[in-house]
Amino acid sequence: MPSDSIPYFCHRLQLAFSGLHPQRIHSLVMKAGDPAGAVHMIRTGRVKAKPTAREAVSIPAEQRMEELASAGIQVLLLGSDGYPPWLAAIPDPPDLLFVKGKVPVWAAVAVVGSRRATRYGLTLARRVGEAMGRRRITVVSGLARGIDGAVHEGVVEVKGCGVAVLGCGPDRWYPVGHRSLGERLLECGGAVVTEYPPGTIPEPWRFPVRNRIITGMARVVLVVEAAVGGGALISARLGLEQGREVLAVPGDIDRATSRGCNELIRDGAMPVLGTAELLEFLEAEGVCGPPTEVDRDPDSNDEKRLSGLEGAIGEVGATVETLMERLGWPLSRVLVEVGQLESQGRVAREGGLIRLKG
Amino acid sequence: MSTRMFSAAMVGVDPRPVNVEVHLGKTNSKFGLVGLPDTAVREAQYRVKAAMASSGYEMPRSEVTVNLAPADLPKAGSAFDLPIALGVLLADGKVSMGHRGLVAVGELALDGRVRPSRGVLAAAMVAAKQGIPCLVPRAAMSEAALVPKVDLFGVDKLSEALRAMEGSVEPTAPPPSGSHASPVQDLADVRGQELARRGLEIAAAGRHHLLMSGPPGMGKTMLAKRLPGILPPLTQTEEMELACVWAAAHRGRPVSIRPFRAPHHTTSVVGLLGGGSGIPVPGDLSLAHHGVLFLDELGEYPANLVDALRQPLEEGTVTITRRGISTTFPCRALVVAATNPCPCGWRNDTVKQCQCSPAAAGRYRRRLSGPLLDRFDVRVFLGRMETEELTGAPGESTAAVRRRVEQARQMQIPRGALNGDLSSSDLDALPWDGGARQVLSYNLDRGNLTGRGYDRVRRVSRTLADLEGCELVTDTHVLEALSFRMSI
Repeated sequence: MPSDSIPYFCHRLQLAFSGLHPQRIHSLVMKAGDPAGAVHMIRTGRVKAKPTAREAVSIPAEQRMEELASAGIQVLLLGSDGYPPWLAAIPDPPDLLFVKGKVPVWAAVAVVGSRRATRYGLTLARRVGEAMGRRRITVVSGLARGIDGAVHEGVVEVKGCGVAVLGCGPDRWYPVGHRSLGERLLECGGAVVTEYPPGTIPEPWRFPVRNRIITGMARVVLVVEAAVGGGALISARLGLEQGREVLAVPGDIDRATSRGCNELIRDGAMPVLGTAELLEFLEAEGVCGPPTEVDRDPDSNDEKRLSGLEGAIGEVGATVETLMERLGWPLSRVLVEVGQLESQGRVAREGGLIRLKG
Repeated sequence: MSTRMFSAAMVGVDPRPVNVEVHLGKTNSKFGLVGLPDTAVREAQYRVKAAMASSGYEMPRSEVTVNLAPADLPKAGSAFDLPIALGVLLADGKVSMGHRGLVAVGELALDGRVRPSRGVLAAAMVAAKQGIPCLVPRAAMSEAALVPKVDLFGVDKLSEALRAMEGSVEPTAPPPSGSHASPVQDLADVRGQELARRGLEIAAAGRHHLLMSGPPGMGKTMLAKRLPGILPPLTQTEEMELACVWAAAHRGRPVSIRPFRAPHHTTSVVGLLGGGSGIPVPGDLSLAHHGVLFLDELGEYPANLVDALRQPLEEGTVTITRRGISTTFPCRALVVAATNPCPCGWRNDTVKQCQCSPAAAGRYRRRLSGPLLDRFDVRVFLGRMETEELTGAPGESTAAVRRRVEQARQMQIPRGALNGDLSSSDLDALPWDGGARQVLSYNLDRGNLTGRGYDRVRRVSRTLADLEGCELVTDTHVLEALSFRMSI
């Protein structure tokens, strides 16, 4: 059966709703010869699967399509128009993608990192998100806690384009607290993508599986903070296997959450030493074009950023006391100037730390 | 034969006169005590009898009736021993009264000595009001001496009291005041933490409630303990008010030092706001009147306790009603709260990693947020210090900071309220420089400020201008004030 026929698509959809591991579905299709055979095998109980899976595949695809359409969820079949081309080229692309919002087809940057991130990583992730969002670069991440969330925050802050790849169905949010973040992402023209059909609950095993989609959709993978043995590092290795350019943010050598990144750098990943440098690299790679007037932050320009207070604040932010020391200014002057920048929306304050925005 | 002596009791912070009436009847040896006495008062008859015997007098062999009036006011404690003894001896004709009237308080020991008791301050105040002299235990003279314009007799023994009553001795000179002010910890001990020190100074100058957030060991408690030292000395009126509150709590306190109260987070609402059975006693909030109430680990305080603080802080008084008695205690305390940014304390730290799960950290923050948080005009974060800061020169001394605070407070006197108490309409009426208005409206327009945040920034700006001695608030003041807003 040709892979672009309607019955093929319907059977693929039914298989997706079975809730089985994507690899298992893949091997079933291999065994049965085509998706229709795999559906039949599950339905008739010739495959060891939960009764719920049997029931789920029995529901006709037309009914599923209606439900999806009314929920505003688009389904993309591997090989069809609109399926992200970079993702299609990885060794094990998902057969179906459930999408809310608009999936960008051009090259994107994936940002991955630890869920238990430090302030350093979070601030940097946010800044990277803002910088790339401003340059209209599509930023792909997992909407998880920690680095993922921070990067998405940065993107929506400047109304940039972000894609969140979920480890659950497109009809729910995980973690629940990131619901509003996800909704803002959609409002800003981003997308929510998952290979799991609506109703899929966020089981732990689903997250590592979806990591290949995050890196697969992107052309460049940026690792902000990763501990050894963490999911972020697995993503980075996946990216390498998929032939992606992997960049890593260096960190303290004795900090556990920096170790993964530092190891990547040792093994050949390009270290990222600042947002300006990152953007230059992405430009050279052709991920984005040169900055236009519209892209530029209206309140600032790059030359100015390197001098005075903004230069002293640096990439990851500083406390008031640090600024006093770096600039040699009295306290009140630092406070007044910070207040000025904050009014203009150029710095933000988070628990004593002052950091640049955008 | 009946006589009348005066005594006094503190009801809330109200000194109330108590008449001690003694009547000697015809029937044989009998002692009756009426007027809502508690057990301690009822036992007075034994102490009085023994003390009289030790001093060489005998209880009259007739029916002795003692009435403590007003009859409906509950009487407690041993303060009425002395007036009862004096009244009985007067009625028996053993002594004569050399004054127009006499207020007396004191507990009697069996050997005739006079011990300090409750009600000393109340007695002195009642005596001052009625223009009659007052007899107090000598050990409690310093408490009574707070009250101006009253003749005080400090007595050690019942026999001395009798001589004072006859008018044969001169009033006792009050002890020198302020001599035993205990040394205050100096602000110079705190190194680094410039932002927090500035926050402390602003809090003291305008009586703005202060919130300090930061990892453990950064000096939050150290700074809070040094806050009373940079507040201006108590005025006489303030000292009187404070003495009344402490007297109501049946506690003596070191004179002329601003109180610093740090109730633990396991304290009860009654312990914090006041209450108790019988006549209500003030809680820590009122004991910190004109001083500092320090809430360490604000996140650990149960929500009901924190909520209970809101209204009293707004009004400056707390009213407590118990079984028909309603009392109002003043509570103009400066609240300083310290909190960790998360349960483990290391969130936002630049070096150490936070170990809290995001859910736990979120719960912690949510407990802190809400209406009480809005009361904190000044919020500072205390971050990790560099080694040079810790080993460097000591900070500015308490005395230097206090001078600036005093000057700033001078500027606020004509306004009738301290800056921390200014309402929205008060703030509107103040002079604002064009630049200041511009910065404020710019931030309002951009959504950087909410309505409440707007008032907070304006109050702090006013204090910053006062600290500089400026009548007009300018844009630099507002910009600096913006830096003292902080989300946890």
